[in-house]
Parts: sequence; structure tokens; C-alpha cells
Amino acid sequence: MKFKKLAALGLVSSLLFAAAACGDDDDSDSTKGDGDSSSDALAAPAKDTKATLRVWLNGPDTPQDMRDWAIAEFKKQYPNVTVKIEEQEWDGLVPRLTTALDSADTPDIVEMGNTQAQEFEAAGALTDLSSKLDELGGDDLLESLKEAGSYNEQFYGLPLYAGARVVTYRTDLFEKSKLEVPTTLDEFVEAGKKLQKDNASTPNFSGIYFPGRNWQAMLSFIWDAGGDIATQSDGEWTGTLADKESVDGLTTVQDIMKNANKAPADSDDRNDYIDFCANEVGMLMGPGWKQGQIEEECPALKGKLGVFPLPGSDGDVAPSFLGGSVLGLSAKGKNQGLAYQFLKLINGDEFQTQYAENSLIPNKKSLLDKVAGSPGALAQAEAAENSRFTPSSEFWAQVEGDNILQDMGTQIGNGDDVEKAASTANDAIVEILNQ
Amino acid sequence: MTTGVLPEEGMVPGEPTPSGSTPASRPGRGGLLGRVKALPYALTIPALVALAAGLGWPLVRLVIMSTQDYGLRQQFGAPAPNVGLDNFTEIFGDSYFWEVLRRSLVFCFLAVTLTMVAGTAVAVLLGKLGRVMRTALSVSLLLAWATPALTATVVWQWIFDSRFGVVNWALTKLGFDYEGHSWVSEPLSFFFVALLIVVWMGIPFIAFTLHAAMTQIPDEVMEAAAIDGASSWQRFRDVTWPGIKPIFVVLLALSTMWDLRVFTQIYVLQQAGGVTRDTNLLGTWAYRTGVGSQQFGKGAAIALVMVGLALLLTLFHIRQMFKQEEI
Amino acid sequence: MAVVAPVKVPPVVAPAKADRGRRRPRRRWGLNLIALVLILLSSFPVYWMFTTSFQTNAAIRSPDQELTPVGGTLHNYRSVFDSDNFTTAFANSLKVTALTVVLALAVAFLAAVAVSRFRFRGRVAFLVMILLVQMVPAEALMISLVKVLEGWQLRNTIIGLTIAYLAFVLPFTIWTLRGFVAALPVELEEAAMIDGASRWGAFWRITLPLVAPGLVATGIFAFIQAWNEYTLALVVMIRPEKETLPLWLQSFNYGARGTDWGGVMAGSTLITVPVIIFFLFVHRRIASGLTAGAVKG
Repeated sequence: MKFKKLAALGLVSSLLFAAAACGDDDDSDSTKGDGDSSSDALAAPAKDTKATLRVWLNGPDTPQDMRDWAIAEFKKQYPNVTVKIEEQEWDGLVPRLTTALDSADTPDIVEMGNTQAQEFEAAGALTDLSSKLDELGGDDLLESLKEAGSYNEQFYGLPLYAGARVVTYRTDLFEKSKLEVPTTLDEFVEAGKKLQKDNASTPNFSGIYFPGRNWQAMLSFIWDAGGDIATQSDGEWTGTLADKESVDGLTTVQDIMKNANKAPADSDDRNDYIDFCANEVGMLMGPGWKQGQIEEECPALKGKLGVFPLPGSDGDVAPSFLGGSVLGLSAKGKNQGLAYQFLKLINGDEFQTQYAENSLIPNKKSLLDKVAGSPGALAQAEAAENSRFTPSSEFWAQVEGDNILQDMGTQIGNGDDVEKAASTANDAIVEILNQ
Repeated sequence: MTTGVLPEEGMVPGEPTPSGSTPASRPGRGGLLGRVKALPYALTIPALVALAAGLGWPLVRLVIMSTQDYGLRQQFGAPAPNVGLDNFTEIFGDSYFWEVLRRSLVFCFLAVTLTMVAGTAVAVLLGKLGRVMRTALSVSLLLAWATPALTATVVWQWIFDSRFGVVNWALTKLGFDYEGHSWVSEPLSFFFVALLIVVWMGIPFIAFTLHAAMTQIPDEVMEAAAIDGASSWQRFRDVTWPGIKPIFVVLLALSTMWDLRVFTQIYVLQQAGGVTRDTNLLGTWAYRTGVGSQQFGKGAAIALVMVGLALLLTLFHIRQMFKQEEI
Repeated sequence: MAVVAPVKVPPVVAPAKADRGRRRPRRRWGLNLIALVLILLSSFPVYWMFTTSFQTNAAIRSPDQELTPVGGTLHNYRSVFDSDNFTTAFANSLKVTALTVVLALAVAFLAAVAVSRFRFRGRVAFLVMILLVQMVPAEALMISLVKVLEGWQLRNTIIGLTIAYLAFVLPFTIWTLRGFVAALPVELEEAAMIDGASRWGAFWRITLPLVAPGLVATGIFAFIQAWNEYTLALVVMIRPEKETLPLWLQSFNYGARGTDWGGVMAGSTLITVPVIIFFLFVHRRIASGLTAGAVKG
């Protein structure tokens, strides 16, 4: 048919154009940078080396003065090296990393969220640092972050810093309701309900602010009840989200959402600090820097805020989700040795202690006691001791991307049957992890 | 003189109307432009080069990748196993795909219909307004069009926010109990909001382009028809419509494709609170399944499926075009 | 002749090009009312964006919503101008967009003329192909596209991004301009050629001015596409000094440990301004249409 011939002709002509225009295509030929497990590649280069080191840090999490300090310190070691810290946004980071790490223009060091690191490690995008693990701290590194930075028994990503989830609360409202800081999970829930009752006259008030999509907070309840998301054995994942323990934990969550909370089931915790400033919150669960953020947003609440780690059913600290980042070296980077030296600087106690002073958790257990000063940081340090991580699979990022847990949270918040919601989520998760 | 008659689509200068004789039997006139055979090709070369440069190789790669198991590892050097048509059979065998497809077709149909009808009406209106009002309306349409998609969706979210949204506030003031009503957690109202945003963002473009097309119609013809006593509707049907038809049909085809693969608005609303699984359309599903989870092979297969879908939908239009090329 | 009474009569003398002035006042009011409603509907969200840009984050989420900006703050705009990359991002966006629009219109016009005034082998195939290509999502192509640009050393360059944008904008532009060219009577060009102009002269001096409305409409489209594009810019421009405005806007999504809504709105307002300026500059050309007398029968 003439149509087909014309179509074919058109297609062929543009393919010819494309082929002619394109020159060589060797994208499947990747010469891995010299960052293989040979430690020679990571050896310290000469002091007078001249180079530019590009470091990608994400978001505003690492404060500017810490960055300045690191750059200045490194300049002392290597006066002819310029360190450029380029700030990336968390949104859209993964496609950027995918195309950047694979190019000749790759940055030397990249920061990745703990849930994103796995897939890049699995893909071979990062330099193998297994031989340097001991030098960097070995067992002293925070467990769950070290896990995030490892794949297949090999070590690629240095934990950078962590943030644990804690409870930020209104001390004045507690006083009014004659409440003490809860020491068990049950006391926590009861305190929330009491606050809810005592403050019913304030519109939209939540004793415990629990928006439906706050899945990280839900994890603590699941873990505390003895449940988990999924477990792995022999490379096969089994979902445990619909098991009795997990469902029990989620039922407690639903109890809170129904009886102590007015936050919408379809929102996440992005705006919680604003609602807090509007006097609508008694307690909320969130990162350790929440207190600082609230005080910045509405200074009127300064002095009325307190922090404590979420208590577990057994009176100890409840297991909490540890968020954080890892730093990796791009396998195709041209300055492996220099990059590693910079990494050591970041890993050093001096730099890490500054994280502690900024209410973030440093990457080593031995430094946890440096987290002094703000109660928020202290509470975090406590929480960090019982930290847990999401299933360490290269496909976990997809679970997050598909909003599976968030959807489950919305359903629970809407009053749907907990077991059904958990079961749906469980099946979806298992399907993804086992693909 | 034929001022009032516009050439049929596909007609070439020098060619007689279909009822006439074939070019081969009419020497001279038919050759005015046909004599220099190279010219049309020369005129399309810049376009071909630009398209080939930006799309040529990526499209080839797309086709190749669709037959491979290509993920992040392959991106960094691992060999890509060829899986033949497995990616495609996986897609067609997934009942969720069909669910998403059905939803997308319905959404697309509604969006396109609303956008094209409203867009045409606005285009006509633009033509009848005085200069000041026309500029005012044009500028506000432009604002709607030019707002970055992210911003527009965020603002619409606020307008429909369960607690602070203006819509809930207004409805409650009018006596209905809409306090705290969530517009995005139920799929049906989710799509209502999404439809509103997509149509709102799509109308200006249709309106401007059709308005531009309408201004190409000679004023004398419009006046002549008015003098002859034709009503507004008759003038639209007999004078305006034939004039804008070629462009209208183009816009229809393009709108269909764009609304079929709509992504940003749905994605942002999902992140704001809809139940993702129940609200995925082709665009977001394709993204989450393929590129979004670093499964580029699967993503490529999905993209090709979407192209095939577009082909099916616009087949009628293409065949019409092709028919007119033949004499 | 004596004027009998001071009755207001609608202007009988029509403005140069259109006879719009002859509309009866009653009809005019009706249309104006509809137009007013449309103006409100289409600009309300933008109005919201504008007023929000002057509020603090706390005020934005408060239950008392202000419909009119009362007692605003310039804090958000200050943080926009304080931000590192605003001016460079602005310049980059401007360059890429201007280049894309000019090239797209030029190239598309040529191709549109070719496909609507000539018959040649591959014509239909060409058109069909570029129509279908519209369906491929940018995300599916971006990885390969980046590789291509890298191969040509054009990653992180204005030219590189322009090529990418051209490829995505051309299909639509060609199709639409084709419609506009096809709608023009061929007799116009023939008349010019009979008068001695060359083929190309005819296209240049007759067709081009007469499809000006089409050029403007597609020009605005190309402008907005390029100006607001995010996905491709995200992966092509990975050096901070090469960022475009949509990328820059994202940085407000994570300011101060939470979304800086005020900043997003202020940034968005500023981003919209150049588009409006461009539009005001060219929109009158949409109504230029055919001048009386262009064709003499």
C-alpha cells in the first residue's frame, strides 16, 4: 500500500539523518573509572595537585558555615584544589544522578538519600569503598545508614548525617492539662486524647497531629508492636505488613487519627509547622529540627516547646525511622584520590560534631554523646539508638515513588478497615520488591 | 476571482479541483512549482535536521531498549539482555494497564471536548470584542497559559484545599456543609479537579490559535455574508468554520494526544493527597512504571505503546489527509 | 443638518480593519459581561498566586483567607532576589527561549510551506511521523537525548538545550503553520508570481506576512513551552550556572525545611512577567489578518 511505503520511506530517511548526525554511539561501552576496589586509586595524591572537585549536596540540610569550614580545611591540605559544592534539589534528583554519574562531566562526590542509594550502588555507579570501611569507622558508623550505604556485602556510601524522628510538643498545653512527658506508648496515646478533649474549643485542634500520609511516623507503631514491612531470606522478600503485629500497630495509629487528630487524611507533614504556629497542635511527630523551624516561623511560641523521643510500649525508646544521607564517590569521577581525601575530611570527628551542634545526628555512634545542647538533638540521639530502616532493596525507592504507604495511610485516616488497607499495601510492596 | 473560496486541504497550486483532469494531462501550469523538484525537499531539510538531531537517535534507542531488560545497571555498563517482546506482553497482560487506559480515554475525551468547544467559543468571542476588552481577556487568558504548570497546580490545590480552600469556604457560606471536605481523596472528585485544571490550562492556547485563524478570514467575506442577511450562527457555520477547519482538526489531534498523556497536573495532585493507585492515568503510570523506577526498557515499551495508541486515535484524520493527496 | 437631540449614537465609522464598532450597544454589553466572567475565571488562580506572593507563610495557611491583599510583605521577593542563581537562571532561560522561538518559527515556516504548497514523496509520511512523535513523553527520551548532546559536547550549553527544545516544539509548530498556510488562497502567491516574483519571493513577501497571526500564535506557544520546561532542563543543564528558571524555582520547594510557599509564588509571579511582555509586544499581529485590497479580482 502506498501509505506503508511512504511511511517507511519517511522513517528510513530520518533514521539516516539520525545516524549521520550522531557520530559514535558507545553508550554501552563504559570504562569504569579507576575507582574499582583497588585501593591504589584512592591513594592520597600529591599535595600540590591542581584540580577542581565537585561535590553535590542536597537541599539546605548541611548548613552554609559547615560547608565553608570544609572547603577552607581542605584548602589547607591541598592549596591548589578548588572545591565546589553545588546544591541540588531533592526533587528530580534521581534522573539527574542517573544522567550525571554516567557522563564524562560527572561530579566527584554525590549525596543520596538513604532510600535512593541502594539502586545506584547496585548499578555500579559508585566507587567501591569496602577496603576503606575500617578506616572510615567500621562498626562505629550508624548501623542503619551503613546498611543503606552497602550493597551485596560491599560498601559504597559513607553515612553523612542522620535525622531521627521525635515528638515536638507544647509545654504550656501539657501544663494546662497536667500532663507529664509520657514514658510509654500507651501514655503517649492517652496524653494525645486528653489534649484533644481539653482543647476541643480550638478549631481543627489535634492532640497528636497525624496527617494520613505521614508514613514514617506510622513505621514506629508497626515496629513497636513487633511487626515490620517485609523481611528477606535467600533473596526473596516476604511481606509482613498484614501480619497481626503490624496490623495491631496500625490500629493504634487509626485510633490516634480518629480520636486525637484533626489533620487531613490526604495530606503529609510538609505544612505541619504552619499548623503548629496556628495553635492547632498539641504534639507532632517529626524530624529533630522541627522545633527550630517552628520557632523561626512563629517566634511567639519560643519557650513553649519541648521535645522527647517517642516512647515504646516497654518504657524504652520506640523504634524510629532514621532518615539520612550517604555520600558516595562517582565511579567515573576523574579525581578519585582527591575525592576520597575530602570524604575523610567530612567523615572526620571535627566536621561530624558540627552536625551535632546543628541538631542533626552525626554518623558515628561514638559521637552521639556530642549531641548536646538543644533538647531536640538530645531526643534525637536517644531515638537514634533504636533506629530502624526500611527494607534494604534496590527497589524500595519505587515503593516510595508509588506512594504505597502514603495511600495506605490515607485509607486508614479515612476510617477504612485497617487489615484490608494493610493487605493491599503489603501485596503491592511484595510485588515490587520481588521483581 | 476566488477570494471567498479557500483551497481544499492538500490542494496544490496549479492543480485543478478533483473533478478536473490529472496533472499529467495538463502541461505547463502544473509545472509551475512542480518543475523544481528539489525545492520542497530543500525547505524541509532544516526541520528534518533539527528533528533528527534532537529526536532521531533517542527514538532509535527507544525502539531498541523496548526489546531489552534495561535498567539502571545497564545504564552504567552492564550488558542489556534482549527480551524480545516480553516488555510488551507484560504491559498488555497487566490488567491494571487496561484499567488505566480506560480511565485515560474517558478523561481525554472529556478534556478534549470541553477544551475544544470552550476554546472555539472564546475564540469567537475574542473576535467580537472591542479592543480594550479583547486585550484584557487576551492577557488574562495568557496568564492562565503562561503560569508554570507546577505553580498552577499548586494554586488550584489551594483553591480546593480541604481546610483552607476558597471553594469549601464559599460553599459553606452558601449553606452547604463543605467544611473540611477533601476534594482529592475520592477518585471521582480528584478527576473533577484535575479536569478543571487541565481544561483551564488548555483553553487559552486553543482560543488564541483559533482566533488567529479566524482573523485570516477576509473581512469582506464576513461583511458580505452579513449584508446578505446571514445570522451569526450561519456566518459561523458557512464562513468561519470552513476557514478554521484545517487548524481546528490539527488542534483536535494534538489536544487528544496531549490530554491522553497528561502528566504534571495528575502527578502533583497525587503527591498532594489522592490515592495513587486509583488515580493513575497513562502519563503518571508510564512514568512510575518505567523511567520513574529506572526501568528504561519497560518505559520505552510503554512509550511505543502510547505512540501506537495515538496512531489508532488519529487514524481517521490521517486517512482523510492521505485520501486528499490522491487525485 | 440640525442635530435634533443629544442622543448617544454608537460610532458608525469602523476602525481601520474590523467592523466591530458597528455592534449594537446591547449586544456589546452582553458580550462584555461574558468576557468579564471569563477574565475572572481565567485569572483568578493567577490573582491568587500574585496576592499570596505578598504574604508570609503563616498567613498563607491561616483559616482567614484574604481575598484582597491587605498589609503585604516584600519578604518573599527579597528572598527571590537574594537567592544565588536568579539572575543567571533568568538570563539562561531568556537565551534558550529566544533562540528556540526564532529558530522554530523559521524552520517550521519553511517546512509548512513545503508540505502545503507542494506534493512530494514522503510528504504524508513526514507529517504523520512528526504528529505521532508528539505522543512520546520527554522522560522516555531524556536519557538518550543527554547522551547525544554529550557526544556533541553540547551538554550544559544553551545550544544543546535549544536543540532539544526545537525537537519537541517543531512537530506542533509545523502542523499548525501548515494549517495556516493551507488556509491561504494559493491565488495570492500565483498572482505575485505572474507579476514576476520568484517562488521564493512569493513565499517571502506574500505568504509570510499573511500567516503572521499563525506565526504569533505558534510563537507564543513555543515561548511558553521553552520558558516553562523543566524535565529536559533538569538533566541537560546540570551545572548551577547553567540552570534555567523552572529549575531555579524548585529550590523554593525545599527552602527552610519545608515548602516556602511565599517564595514559590513570588518566583512564579516573576517568571510570568516576561511572557506577558512578549505577548503584549506581538499580540496585535494576531489581528492583522488580510488587508482589504490585497487581492484584486
